[in-house]
Order: sequence, then C-alpha cells, then structure tokens
Amino acid sequence: MFIVYHLIVFYLASHFIWYLFRENEFWKRVSVALVLIMFFLRLFLIK
Amino acid sequence: MKCLKDRLISGLLLLLSLALCFFSTQKFREQHKKETLFPSEGLASREMLSSYFPGLIDTPGDTEVYIYGGQNPGGNILILGGAHPNEPAGYVTAVILIENIQVSQGKIIVIPRANNSGFTHSEPQEGNLRGYSLETPGGKRFFRFGSRLTNPIHQWPDPTLYINPSGQKLSGQESRNLNRCYPGKPKGHLTEKIAFAIMEIIKKEKIDLAIDLHEAAPEYPVVNAIVFHENSAELASYSLMELQQIGFEFRLELSPNNLRGLSHREWGDHAQVMAILLETANPSQGRLKGKSSLSLIIEGKDRNYSKAAKFGLLFVPFDSEGIPVKLRVARHLAAIKILLSSFNELNPEKRIEVNHMPSSSQVKLKGIGQFLCPPYRK
Amino acid sequence: MSEAAIFLFMIATFALLAMVLKLPIGVSLVFSALAGSLLGGEGAALHHLVEGSFGYFDTILIIVTAMIFMKVLQESGILDTVTALLLKSFYRRKVALLLTVMALVMFPGMITGSSTTAVLSTGALVAPVLMKMGLSRVKTGALIAMGAILGMIAPPVNILVMIMGGGVDMPYVGFTFPLLIIVIPLAVSTSLWLGYKNIKIIEYNQMKEVLPESFFKNYGFRLYLPLIIVIGLLLGQSLMPGIIPDIGIPAIFLLGSFLGIFCGKPLNILKTTQKAIEESMPILCILVGVGMFIQIMTLTGARGWIVTSFLSFPPLLLYLGIATSMPLFGAVSAFGSASILGVPFILAMIDKNAILTSSALSAVAGLGDLMPPTALAGIFAAQVVGEANYFRVLRFCLMPALFELVIGMAVLLFAPLLDKLI
Ligand SMILES: [Zn+2]
Repeated sequence: MFIVYHLIVFYLASHFIWYLFRENEFWKRVSVALVLIMFFLRLFLIK
Repeated sequence: MKCLKDRLISGLLLLLSLALCFFSTQKFREQHKKETLFPSEGLASREMLSSYFPGLIDTPGDTEVYIYGGQNPGGNILILGGAHPNEPAGYVTAVILIENIQVSQGKIIVIPRANNSGFTHSEPQEGNLRGYSLETPGGKRFFRFGSRLTNPIHQWPDPTLYINPSGQKLSGQESRNLNRCYPGKPKGHLTEKIAFAIMEIIKKEKIDLAIDLHEAAPEYPVVNAIVFHENSAELASYSLMELQQIGFEFRLELSPNNLRGLSHREWGDHAQVMAILLETANPSQGRLKGKSSLSLIIEGKDRNYSKAAKFGLLFVPFDSEGIPVKLRVARHLAAIKILLSSFNELNPEKRIEVNHMPSSSQVKLKGIGQFLCPPYRK
Repeated sequence: MSEAAIFLFMIATFALLAMVLKLPIGVSLVFSALAGSLLGGEGAALHHLVEGSFGYFDTILIIVTAMIFMKVLQESGILDTVTALLLKSFYRRKVALLLTVMALVMFPGMITGSSTTAVLSTGALVAPVLMKMGLSRVKTGALIAMGAILGMIAPPVNILVMIMGGGVDMPYVGFTFPLLIIVIPLAVSTSLWLGYKNIKIIEYNQMKEVLPESFFKNYGFRLYLPLIIVIGLLLGQSLMPGIIPDIGIPAIFLLGSFLGIFCGKPLNILKTTQKAIEESMPILCILVGVGMFIQIMTLTGARGWIVTSFLSFPPLLLYLGIATSMPLFGAVSAFGSASILGVPFILAMIDKNAILTSSALSAVAGLGDLMPPTALAGIFAAQVVGEANYFRVLRFCLMPALFELVIGMAVLLFAPLLDKLI
C-alpha cells in the first residue's frame, strides 16, 4: 500500500506541475506552488 | 501562443516551491538524528529490539534495548519509555535509569525509545518545539520532543478504520499509536511489529513486572495515575499506600476490560505479566497549552492551565508554579522504586536489587541534569 | 504580545487579504499564518508552516481523487445513465423519492465520514434528478449539503467522534444507536422540509424529454461497474473489515476512475485529471492555509487561549459556547473543531456519558462544514448544482441546520435522561 500511495502522490504531483504551467492566473499558480510543497516533501519521504 | 513570460513565472513558482521544500527539509531531517545515551557501568548488554523479532531489522521501528543485571537470578522487570515521544517525563525517566542504575539481583530491561519512529517527527498543528535541552554539570544535553504517533513516512497510509490486533475499532490514525497496537502482529504494519517485538521481549526474557511510562494532558482524567492490570492489583494497591506515605498522591485505575490494545491490558492478558502504566501530568501535550516554549516543556508552567485549574477543569492541582518535568520524573522514579520494593515483598523468591537509582527527592531538589551524564563522555 | 492580540491580528490580516485585496482564501490564510508567526516572535517559521499543512495531507488526497472519480463518471456517461435510471425508478411517489434521495446522498458520508465525498459522489448523481423534478437549483444544493453533513455524522463511520474519542481515549464502540437517534429525525425532516412543497410528479412522456441520455444500450452493465466497485469497497472496508481490503479512500477512488476509462464513453484520463485538479485547487489551497493557520495559532498560544476562554465560561455560557464556537470554528475546519474544541468540551462535561456527549458534539461540529468561508459542504453542493454563489445554497440550509443544532444541544442537555433510556 505504501508504494501505491507513493505512486498516487507522484501522479498527482506531476499533474500539479503540468497544471502550474497551464494556468495563467497568478494567484491560482501561487496556490498550486503552495500545495506542491507538501507533495514534494512526501514524495522525497522527508515529512 | 502561450507567452514566454507566463512560462517564466510558472517556472519561478515551481522553483520557489522546491526552494521552500528544500529550506524546510533541514529541520525535518535533523529530527531523525538520535541523541546519544550514556549507559551506566551496570549495563550488562545492549541489544536491538530486532534481536527479539527479526521482522524489525533495518526498519525505523528498531530501537535499543538496555539490559542490566542478570548474573544473579531474581525478578525480571521491563521498563518502557518513549512509547509516546511527546511525553518527555517517560522518556527522560528511562534515560536516567539507563545512565545510573546497577542491578545486583534479577534483571531490568529498559527500552527508552519504544516508538523510535515517533521521535523522528512532530505532530502537525500541535506547534511543538523540536526538542529541549537539559543542563548537566558538563553542559547541555538535547532531547527530541516527538509525536505520539509513528512517522507517516514510515507507515502510510492510515486505514480508514483501524481494527487493532485485539479486534477493537479505532480511528485510522490510531494504527500509528504504539499503545493501541498490542499485542501486535508479526506481519502487521510497522507499529504492530514494534508492539509484537515488545511482547516477544516480555515472553523471551520471562518478564515478571512490566512498567510503561507515560504522561497525559492535565485535563485528561487518567493522570497522576497508576493503571494496573488485574494481575497486579495487589502490587498496585500495596504500592499506592507506600507512595502516599512519602507524599505522592496517585489515582489507582483498574485497566478497563473493553479498552483493547493498550499495554496494561494486553501485556497482562497475553503474557500474564504484572502490567502497570504510570501517568504524570504534562501541560506541553495538552489542548489548552499556551505558547510553545522551553519553559512550557521543562518548567511546566502555563497560564491557561493555572486558569483552567481555578475553574476546576483539571484532574491535577496546577498553579502558577506549574508542574516541572523534574517533578514528573521524580514521580515516575518514586513509583518505580516503590513498585520494585513492593514486588520484592510480594515475591520474596524473585527479588530484584537495584543500586544507584536516583531518589525522587534528590531529583526534585537538584534537577534532572545532575543525574544525566555530561554530553562529552564516551 | 498577548495571545488575543496575535489571534486578532491574524484574523485581521486574513480579512484584509481575502476581502479587500481579493486574494484567494487559501493564499490569504497562508499569509495571515505567516504574519501571525512573525508577530508572535517565531520569525518566518517555515517548517512550522509546512508541518501545519500536513495535518490535511490525507484529506487533500481524498478530495483530489474524489474529484477525479467524479469527472470520470461525468465524461464516461456513467453519471447520465445512472441519473436516467433513478428518474425512471423513483419519480412516482414524492415522499419515497425524497427519502431515497436523502439516503443516497448520505450514503457515501456514512461510509467515509466525509461530507465532501458525499456531495461529490451521490450528491452529484441526484442533483439532476431533483432539479428535473422541479426543485430549484439552490434548494437542491441545500438538500445535498445537509444530506452530506448528516451522512458524515451518521454511523457506521463518524470521523468527528473518532477524533474526539482519540483525545479522551474512548473506543469507537456503541455509537450506532446514539448517532441514529440524532440523524434519523433530521434526515426525514430535512428532506421533506426542503423538497415536499416543490417536487412535482411529472408525466413519463414529459420526463422522457428531459431524461439525460442513457448509454446503457451502448455499453451495457459494465457502465455501473466503477460505481459498484467504489461503493462496494467503501462499504466493505467498514462493514466487512478484514474480508474486503482497506486500501484507503484515495486508492478506491482512483481504482474506480481507472475502471471508468474502460466502462463507458472513451476519455483521456490525463485531461480528466487536469480538469479535476483545476476544480479542486481552491479547496486544496484552503486546506493548506488552514493547516498553517492552526499550527501558528497553537505555536503562539492563541489556540490554547481560545480553548481556555471557552472552558472558563459558567455552565449556561458553556452550552452557548458549544452552540456557537463549534460551528463557527468549522469555518476553519469541522475536523479541527472536533479536535481542538470537542475534546476539551467533552472533558468539561465529564460527569455525563461521553458517548452521548461526543455524538451530540459531532452533530454540532458537523455544521461547521456549512460555515463560510470554507463551507466545504456548501461550496461543493453549489458546484454540483451549478450555482455560482454558494451563499444562496447556504441560505436554505439555515433552517435544517438550526434544527440540527437544536437536536444536538438537546441531546447534550438531556444526556443524563437519555443515558437511562439506552
Ligand atoms: Zn502516553
């Protein structure tokens, strides 16, 4: 299950990055960047 | 066509996100660094928990087991600290024992960081400090202030509903609470494996009396308490009287039969040992706690708690003097000492003799640091 | 700097950013948390901010994956087909229709303990049915939002009670009956109150015109497969634990989404995921911000100050405090309300049966999901019915919500009496 959830986090994080480059509105992009911090930290098994 | 400037902004935001991630990493990583402990001369051997249950080898749940005595047969005692790493008095009491005691008869086994993984992170939204320093004669020693639960990077995801090895339904995150996972499962998740390994120690070392050191928030009803399994009813009530004589008030609580997965219940049920859990009052883990600070952790002072005590909301007296960690450690030490002497009275054929155990009155008087080794000793 | 001042400063910063500068709510929360941290003398405590947001990491995964599943249901034509089926089966009798709809909306909430899941899954399914039968857009939204909240409180899974139980070491056992006492009258009264007057029985021919297209003829039974699997797994993991594997709600939703690719109209899962992320991003950022906000409140002592202040009220004020603070705190998060306020409140009423107390408190705390600006249930219900202004949905939730509050408080007050009955 741990690996499955790691893959889920990876899948979503990649989509967040894609969305970050698709979106034009500045504050929406800031939102994505903020959410991404958590996904990176979990992806790299730091927090 | 999407203009270059937009791409640039997105790129910069991505970099910013990575940078923030990078800058917070150091603090999170630091918390994985184990503080060195300096066992006393009396140490017979230092094992790893995994030597009792190989399923823990190379996992973050593996932790040191300190064994004292064993040369002259007698009673076998297990003392567990750090089952909940956000309860400093339990951990520090175990460390004080490790760094001081000698056992001339019987055997004492101390596990200071029972949930080793829990020490490696802090609970979200609790705003806790990373740790606290205690002043020893030779300088400061740092101790981590961890989380009640196993680190999610070691055990994740939580189930929706956690059904513990004893069949009790609990909220999912309790699957990372060591003191809900007994008697554990050899093929379960990390926390259940740790619980299983502790059961293995109890069985393989033929433990007679097992003591689990905890703390609880002052607004929690089971505080300043001795929780006992019915196996140890006589021991507990006998000890209570002795403790009252030397000025420590304790509540005596029989381990409830329908509250499964806790040490005082399952140790007694599954290994037939005398199981005891000790609770002191720790304002730094409570819901009313004020600003997170060293004084909150070490001196145990908190305005909110003094106020709540005035309104009769707490289960312990709490004034502006607070409940310092040295007092809580002293309580634990007093209780352990008297539990051991009561054990000797009740089981003269299985005596346990401990020397150099710091007395509660000395700890209260001189502070904890006096009984810890300075940070530089080998 | 006193805790009260820090708290007020954080609230003021938030209000300034969100209302005057019109920044997104989530971003405003993040900056006000940062401001609180600076004012509290903690500096820009980055690791604290990040740590706080992790309190909602699992919730965020549930929300994103639920949204992906929902989008897959829409794009594969499954939603249309099920709507058509429901319309055909239930359109004849008003009361039966309304109660069935209510039960359907509550169902995912009962299983997952999350109102958002309820709104986004079956809530989205019944919305078109109700609107086709003459219930206004906003009333439909209100019915779905209330149903979702009742589902969240109803047994078998009530996460609010579990959170409170965790704080006082009370096992999650023996809650079915107390929770049903609270939920059933509310479910019946709310659905009838909102729907009975407006729902109209329409002719089959008339209805056929407005029926969404059923793709059953193209794809057959496999259309229902993703829904059946998802509901089966959600149900199974709590009703038949140990037999049905507990793979967690996010994995269940993603599994359902994956199946959806092969069970209906062809769709591009990558693009569908993007749409889902785009739609859920505001709420994700709010959760990140709320997490940081709570962390800084705790760190600076503002949380403790608030809780202590509430607890030092005399009994009458204590009940008043429960009735106001718990739903209000839900604006930040209903789960936060259960954990931060619920636990001390149970402890303040320790002389009463804790099972009854926590059940009642969960009903009160659950209302927090209607409290702006977060208003999870309200926002998503508005989204599901296509209403841009979620306040219009919330207006119709007011009466049922008040009724829920009254029942919750009544159970609290009469707990000693009920205790004897149970
Ligand atoms: Zn504990």
